[in-house]
Amino acid sequence: MIGREESDAVRHALITRHGPFVLSLLAGMALWEIVGRNSSPAFLVPLSATMVRLWQLLIGGTLVAQTLNSAALFATGFLLSLLVGMPAGLLLARVGVLRVAVEPYIMILYATPMVALIPFILSLMGFGFVPKVLVVFLFGVFPILYNTVEGARSIKPEMIEVARSFRSGEWALWRDVMLPYTLPFTMTGIRLAIGRCLVGMVAAEFFLSSNGLGQLIMSASQNFDTGGLFAAILVICLIGVGLMRLGLALENRFARWRQ
Amino acid sequence: MVDSTLPNDLPGAADKTARRSGVRVPRLIAGGVILLTWEFVVRLFAPPFVAKPTTILTAIPRVIVDPAFLTATASTLSAVAEGLAIALVCGTIIGLTIGRSVIVERVLRLYVNVFYALPMVVVVPLFALWFGYTSAARLVTVVFASVFSIIVNVADGARAVPQEYVEVARSFRSARLRALLDVVLPASTPYLLAGLRLAAGRALIGAVVAEFITAIGGLGYFILYNSRTFHDNEAFVGVLLLAAFGVGFEGLVGWSTRQLLPWYRRDERSA
Repeated sequence: MIGREESDAVRHALITRHGPFVLSLLAGMALWEIVGRNSSPAFLVPLSATMVRLWQLLIGGTLVAQTLNSAALFATGFLLSLLVGMPAGLLLARVGVLRVAVEPYIMILYATPMVALIPFILSLMGFGFVPKVLVVFLFGVFPILYNTVEGARSIKPEMIEVARSFRSGEWALWRDVMLPYTLPFTMTGIRLAIGRCLVGMVAAEFFLSSNGLGQLIMSASQNFDTGGLFAAILVICLIGVGLMRLGLALENRFARWRQ
Repeated sequence: MVDSTLPNDLPGAADKTARRSGVRVPRLIAGGVILLTWEFVVRLFAPPFVAKPTTILTAIPRVIVDPAFLTATASTLSAVAEGLAIALVCGTIIGLTIGRSVIVERVLRLYVNVFYALPMVVVVPLFALWFGYTSAARLVTVVFASVFSIIVNVADGARAVPQEYVEVARSFRSARLRALLDVVLPASTPYLLAGLRLAAGRALIGAVVAEFITAIGGLGYFILYNSRTFHDNEAFVGVLLLAAFGVGFEGLVGWSTRQLLPWYRRDERSA
């Protein structure tokens, strides 16, 4: 008896929690289908046609190949921005003079729309993988750098003094005080960087050597293959949502340390 | 919902100590080192057309009186301003409704989150298809790029309003709309400003990308055209202006946070 009541309660909770979500998803899909069927296929194709096109791209292997291409670019650029941004941020936090000296320039670069640099990167480095990685890197490094510095500079001086008075070496100080203390802040930067790197990835694929999902979108739009265009946008949408979830999960995982 | 990077890292607010003159010397030295390195690396290793500080400096007086540059700047900035204004009004209304109504929140949350997570550059080719290679496509891109960060932040702010505020307003027989406008909206203004700050950056990127793709006249296209014709120095003046606009907007939001919300401190939020 109790078991059934409990399972009823669970089911009820599931329905009230996920019911509206599922309903709104279904409503959105229906709306897309209806509007799509009643408009010119050059502008909007219904969900069903998009799915068919997505299936074709999937079967043909294009989608998988291009997604892997994009993933390689994203991963390289993002890891590079993490590997540069985090240590540099900690270094700036540790060496006060350096931080004070370069802080305004980091602020400026953080606020600069990096897409505007793409034409210069193109004319200087041409087509290829390296300039594209540079674009993704430029999009991602400043949020990480900025937030790491922000975090590291909020370390209480007493903490470092205590560590010092226990004869902690420089390496131990970084490993046991600075890194754990700044990690939650860095995670905020990482979440922001994930979103920005994704933008950088697509922009690099649009304007530098064309391949990956960006190329899929570009060629679909140039060939008036609206179904392919929607299919590619849908895939990027799913990747974006997935990565955002990941970023939020990481941030929340470490946020507990933050005071 | 997703993002609430509050204005806790505004340039001016954080470093009052930075105003002290002791700070100016290292900053000037760092700036000098950066410029000199750039100058010499380009001089030694790069082809002559590549932009470097001295040649950019000589290009500035030429470019800022160039009518083409002025039209381009006006065109881009007015599109960004117009798009941001639309996004601000729509985003605030939608955000407030989402934040205060559970049903609306459940219905719309999915879509707001998805569109917020979507890198907005991917929809530019679609907008070019829908609106043609016109400035309408750019305006829609700017609105699309900026509206979701405002919605998300305003909804967060509206949800964070202490329940007592609303209850007091209600017990004084304030109407729902009245309570929304006079209690919830002012209380969520810090979130609104934070959203606006994010939105401005995204709007600039959106405008530049739209101009790159559709070749509508504007600062983005000015940069693209000049760099393609090996006028890198002229093009870089455009980048400097974009950067100045980005920084200027950050400063403006920081300033208005301090003016409008002197009671708002970053430490209050960290709880």
